Amino acid sequence: MDKETQTNPSDTTGKPIRCKAAICKNPEEALVIEEIEVAPPQAWEVRIKILCTSLCHSDVTFWKMQKPFGIFPTIFGHEAVGVVESVGEFVEEVKKGDIVVPVFLANCEDCKDCKSEKSNICSKIPFSVNPGMPRSGSSRFRDSNGDVINHFLFVSSFSEYTVVDIIHLVKITEPIPVDKACLLSCGISTGVGAATKIAKVEKGSTVAIFGLGAVGLAVAVGARMSGASKIIGVDLNPEKAKIAKKFGITDFVNPKDCGEKPIGEVIAEMTEGGADYCFECIGLANVMADAFSSCRPGWGKTVILGVEVHGAPISVNSLEILRGKSIAGSLFGGIKAKSDIPRLAKMYLDKEIQLDEFITHEVGFDDINKAFDLLLQGKSLRCLIWMDR
Amino acid sequence: MSMSMSMEEEQPKSRGKPIRCRAAVCRKAGEPLQIEEVEVAPPKAWEVRIKIICTSLCHTDVTFWKMESPPATFPTIFGHEAVGVVESVGENVKEVREGDTVIPVLLTDCQDCGDCNSKKSNKCSRFPFMVSPSLPRDGTTRFTDSQGEVVNHFAYISSFSEYTVVDIANVTKIDPSIPPNRACLLGCGISTGIGAAWKTANVEAGTSVAIFGLGAIGLAVAEGAGIRGATKIIGVDLNPEKFEIGKKFGVTDFINPSDCGNKPVHEVIAEMTDGGADYCFECVGSTSVAHQAFARCRKGWGKTILIGFEMPSSQLSFSSYEVLVSGKTIMGSLLGDFKPKTDIPLLVKSYLDKELRLDDFVTHEVQFEDINKAFDLLISGKSIRCVIWMDKKFPPPI
Repeated sequence: MDKETQTNPSDTTGKPIRCKAAICKNPEEALVIEEIEVAPPQAWEVRIKILCTSLCHSDVTFWKMQKPFGIFPTIFGHEAVGVVESVGEFVEEVKKGDIVVPVFLANCEDCKDCKSEKSNICSKIPFSVNPGMPRSGSSRFRDSNGDVINHFLFVSSFSEYTVVDIIHLVKITEPIPVDKACLLSCGISTGVGAATKIAKVEKGSTVAIFGLGAVGLAVAVGARMSGASKIIGVDLNPEKAKIAKKFGITDFVNPKDCGEKPIGEVIAEMTEGGADYCFECIGLANVMADAFSSCRPGWGKTVILGVEVHGAPISVNSLEILRGKSIAGSLFGGIKAKSDIPRLAKMYLDKEIQLDEFITHEVGFDDINKAFDLLLQGKSLRCLIWMDR
Repeated sequence: MSMSMSMEEEQPKSRGKPIRCRAAVCRKAGEPLQIEEVEVAPPKAWEVRIKIICTSLCHTDVTFWKMESPPATFPTIFGHEAVGVVESVGENVKEVREGDTVIPVLLTDCQDCGDCNSKKSNKCSRFPFMVSPSLPRDGTTRFTDSQGEVVNHFAYISSFSEYTVVDIANVTKIDPSIPPNRACLLGCGISTGIGAAWKTANVEAGTSVAIFGLGAIGLAVAEGAGIRGATKIIGVDLNPEKFEIGKKFGVTDFINPSDCGNKPVHEVIAEMTDGGADYCFECVGSTSVAHQAFARCRKGWGKTILIGFEMPSSQLSFSSYEVLVSGKTIMGSLLGDFKPKTDIPLLVKSYLDKELRLDDFVTHEVQFEDINKAFDLLISGKSIRCVIWMDKKFPPPI
């Protein structure tokens, strides 16, 4: 052992760590809390002790995915906050004890995309749904039999310890409470970013948001902050109407209550011809088509945020595109993690954006499956999972 | 009434009365146009009757000429890219008067609605773009044939006629010093291509551009992109002869998909452009090309611009997952996002100031009687723009 490290028997630097993780062994099965071994970080990697994590619907999407596309056994979770336990070679950006937020989308800050205002899709380590570490492709997790357990989205936060590449890590220096920092790791940043960076909602615009989960409501927060005059929320769950107001939704539409009238017509009537910006925050091709039909000819922009994994294409009429409607997709709402997440943390502390209301439930790690139930039943926005309770 | 009368003699006699003149009428889809005598009613309120000087064939005319089912209708007077002189105006028209040189434009510009007043759109909501057999304001027609039967308009313009009636919202007044066989080009195709590069894509210096389809529109995109300083302008076309022509308009690299062998076109483009073109333009009007254009543009900030106009209700399908993870944008461009009444005169000036080159677009010129030759030339891929002169006197040498 290096002389510079403490000769503290509980110092785990350079050694594998035995800890608890919530493992999914088969599609749609309840996660099982088991002891695993987490290898030390290799070059460019950081081993993190997770403080808390939250369930994002993208976890659920891949949790449900049947083989061969779904990969199992896997440690899910990608929205989290933690403390650095140890770092691998070449890591200088963070050190032991730093508060960090892992993110699924890399930010090397060095490639053409990272350096451009116009893109947040890092070319160094492109986005992929990968079962291993980004640079080596290998896993740092072993179960009690020594078998490999797969990573998820380069984060795998449903574990007391995880290993993340420095390119997927954001150092948090702002005095933001850790549970709020956790929320900025994916969903809420995506929504706020989509409104402010991708759509660039202007004062007085009209906005329609399809799907009032955490992402959709975060879009509303971003749109309200930008001065949108009308923020229409569209959801099949009538209970979303009440909670949505807290986030800036001015009008609620439940497609089930529209009778024969197509949603595009309903929105057009409310907005003098169509919304300036439409956001799809679910991940269903037919809703994407609805969103497209609800935006205004001439300049209406539809932003796709939902993950559609069944291969269903989004089908749009070419004449409507010629008439001025456009479609853009966005991973992570245009957010460049290392610069934008600290900025969002500051905006929270300055009370420019709200985060507290997104937390509707909190559970201890052993009750992690409750988080899945709550989300699937549409009862929660964000359920925090505390590792230490 | 003799067709060889000068404008000054015609005006007092024809104002307020129907005009008998020649028009190229299409009576059946895909069949040669027939030069017939038609009667052109005087302009009603808000309308302008125009004596066409010359007109050019645009592929959109061909698309609807071939179409057997609605929205195509027959008999029809096609043509929508033209320049003419105002013969008379209807009530309430103050913007132009008899003798003015005008370009009729299929994209309406009422200058009064939310879109016309906004910088963000050139798509008039008062008279939305559509390919209509009649005039926009009252939905009636102004042409009758020698049997007294209605002959339909095309796209509000119908320029394959010695005289036509157009709504003032579709009329742009221009400087008469531009040669007519350059002015007519600005009525549709070339403006569309230039605008797609300048306004829709907003091409910046140093960027890479891939253009699918090197017809007049694609070449106009190349011209526009070059003026803006794009460093790589890749032209994709199945016709190898387009490469030589393309060079004149600034195309730097040429890809013929049938020559790529085993290598898919997108790999070729990716290699040439560090991962994909910054801007991809679809200038054919094919859904499959539209999908290819989307695939070839660069992740992160790539914009795919659809210009080509196929069937009015053709559906485009994109993988929503791909749209999400690539961060690409898909948009369309009608008349290059130009507002006809304000922007076309600026393009005229740009030509007169020798900034915008238009001459090379005109590859053929014919007289009105030979209008069907223009169709043959375009369909066989031999022409870019064939100008059709209405007057019996042959045009002055270029």
